Amino acid sequence: MARGKDKKKRKLEKKQEGDEVPKKVPHTLESLREKDETTIANAEADEQEEAQKDMELDELSSYFENAYEPKVLITYSDNPHTKTRIFGKELMRIIPNSTARYRQRSSVKRIVQSSIREQVTDVIIINENQKQPNGFLLIHLPNGPTAHFRLSSCKITPELRKDYKEITNHRPEVVLNNFSTRLGLTVGRMLGALFHYEPQFRGRRAVTFHNQRDYIFFRHHRYEFTSDGKRAKLRELGPRFTLKLISLQQGTFDSKRGDYEWIIAGRRHQLETSRRRFFL
Amino acid sequence: MLLLEDKEIDLFVASRIGSFKHIKYHTDVGKNKKKCIENLVDIKSLQKDDSILCMEWGNKEQSEILLARKNRKIEIYDTEIGFRKSYSVNFGEGNIIGVARCSKGILAGVASGVIQIWDDKDFDIENPIVIQTGGKLDRVKVWKHGDMFATGGEENDLKVWKIDEEKPIFIAKNLPHDWLQLRRPIWVTDLTFLEENLLAVCSRHGYVRLYDTRIQRRPITHIETPGMAATCIANGFDERQVFVGFGRGHLHQVDFTKSRLDKGYKGAAGAITSIALCEQERLIVSSSLDRHLRVHERDSKNCVYKQYLTSKLAQVLVQSQRNTALKVVIKDESDVEPLETVKLDQTDELDDIFETMETISETRKKPSSEPHETEAKKLRPSLEGSTVETSEDAILKLLKSTEKTRKKREKIKREKKQKSLFYNA
Repeated sequence: MARGKDKKKRKLEKKQEGDEVPKKVPHTLESLREKDETTIANAEADEQEEAQKDMELDELSSYFENAYEPKVLITYSDNPHTKTRIFGKELMRIIPNSTARYRQRSSVKRIVQSSIREQVTDVIIINENQKQPNGFLLIHLPNGPTAHFRLSSCKITPELRKDYKEITNHRPEVVLNNFSTRLGLTVGRMLGALFHYEPQFRGRRAVTFHNQRDYIFFRHHRYEFTSDGKRAKLRELGPRFTLKLISLQQGTFDSKRGDYEWIIAGRRHQLETSRRRFFL
Repeated sequence: MLLLEDKEIDLFVASRIGSFKHIKYHTDVGKNKKKCIENLVDIKSLQKDDSILCMEWGNKEQSEILLARKNRKIEIYDTEIGFRKSYSVNFGEGNIIGVARCSKGILAGVASGVIQIWDDKDFDIENPIVIQTGGKLDRVKVWKHGDMFATGGEENDLKVWKIDEEKPIFIAKNLPHDWLQLRRPIWVTDLTFLEENLLAVCSRHGYVRLYDTRIQRRPITHIETPGMAATCIANGFDERQVFVGFGRGHLHQVDFTKSRLDKGYKGAAGAITSIALCEQERLIVSSSLDRHLRVHERDSKNCVYKQYLTSKLAQVLVQSQRNTALKVVIKDESDVEPLETVKLDQTDELDDIFETMETISETRKKPSSEPHETEAKKLRPSLEGSTVETSEDAILKLLKSTEKTRKKREKIKREKKQKSLFYNA
């Protein structure tokens, strides 16, 4: 029998059965992903305890104890073009207590030094290639870690036919989705630590970092609850972009002499053994 | 590998959050599926500055471990008893970068460049020996006889010291300027004694050097590893070989005779922090910042064992001289616990027996290879009695039956010829 007909038949059957049949979970690469031994959720109790302790003692722990208010510096590569500049400015609007500065041909290490002096807690450096932003370096200060992401499919607000003025000054809510492995947790915590720990719910702004198959999708919405209060309507504010982790380094930026916690360069074939294996 | 018997190897692993673990590794791969890991420190009690920076064997019997923590405490751990003693270091500034036991007690160095040696028994009373090394330090290592030590750090090249003397007996000299007439930067991240006068040094600036203190102050071998920051070094299995771990997760054997990177051991996704060797089994144990402990086979370069240990690992040690039992074998079998330890003690004895057996089997093997010769010897006199033709057949038989090396065949042939000549005559 031809497949098309079969499909039609199945559809008819489904209609007849109605809503009683429970929805099946589709088999996707994501749902069939290989078990990672570092995921905390399915670890043993003592291992969980140690991982918890590990997170309590790491460099980002002071943010999660609400010990400080994050202060973020955003810079670009030298001579950024319009798109990268606008992207940086929009990031500045999204991230509370952040400033965007031109780089002025300063080296990353010097930026780090002066940022520590100015008590900046995180530095974002956006790289640009062929007028498109393509790199996202995130440095947590004062003692690292440093994450390097590839930035792709970046859409700024004019490209989405939105107005950046719609982005209000309220502190947004942050949604971190699907960061499950130990590495993923560190990355998620780093991204979360960019934002103030106390959102202003009045602004109804939500920032989402959604991890799917190691790609981290960023979306920015304003939400509005429906009158019955059960669902929320979303309105995207922009920008949109996608991040993919290239390396995670211990300490502040030192690509030549630093110690990497995780790096994929040069060992892609060793690590990416299967399509169903994900690291975040 | 002569013994296919399962052998247990004890690994001690220290981590950046301060946890300290004992792992039993079985050479029989099947047995590794069951987790044999034991925490030697209570994880709940860990504080922010408990991170372990250095770990070293305290004695040659390998029953004592010296641990240095970030909160400037040095602890002595006995593999049988547990934590025994602790000192708090109050000299100099910066983290502790090396502890070891030398002939005059315990030696400790801090990152600002001060080294102190004090007697084990009275830490506070006796005036300790204080040595200023002049510059930042990254590593201190003591020669195995305990009368010498070597230091090195960022812009502080290798120096070798006698414990009694105030001035170093050897100061390394940098290589001449490069072809652009620029000074080569120095950063000794780790060093090791190959022999009394031979030292190997690795650097974050991407080089591995071999020094001979008898010959010259400059390195006798200089191997560049461009773009790879070396983090740790360990003695190799053979002479003039070392293992070097890098900040981007590479682990290589470095051969100074060939003066290049020799073998690569793959698998790590994060920086290698420490390397330890299993001499008898020819295994390389490495700890990495990606929170995994890996064991590689030296010759096949395969990763035979990989274990996730939840926290960033800092140091690893292999106990090759003796075995220690896991204190809590498995929680369910807590009743059987003392018995288990007894059993393990027995395996100790068994191991000894096996070791002795090994040598016997070798001696036995030699005679087992000899019978062929004896057969040949037996055949030869019979040939002498018989005619030439039969003797030739016998040679053929001999050749077929005993597949020996060419030389031996030629020897026999020569002998045969001589004999035949003799008979012809």
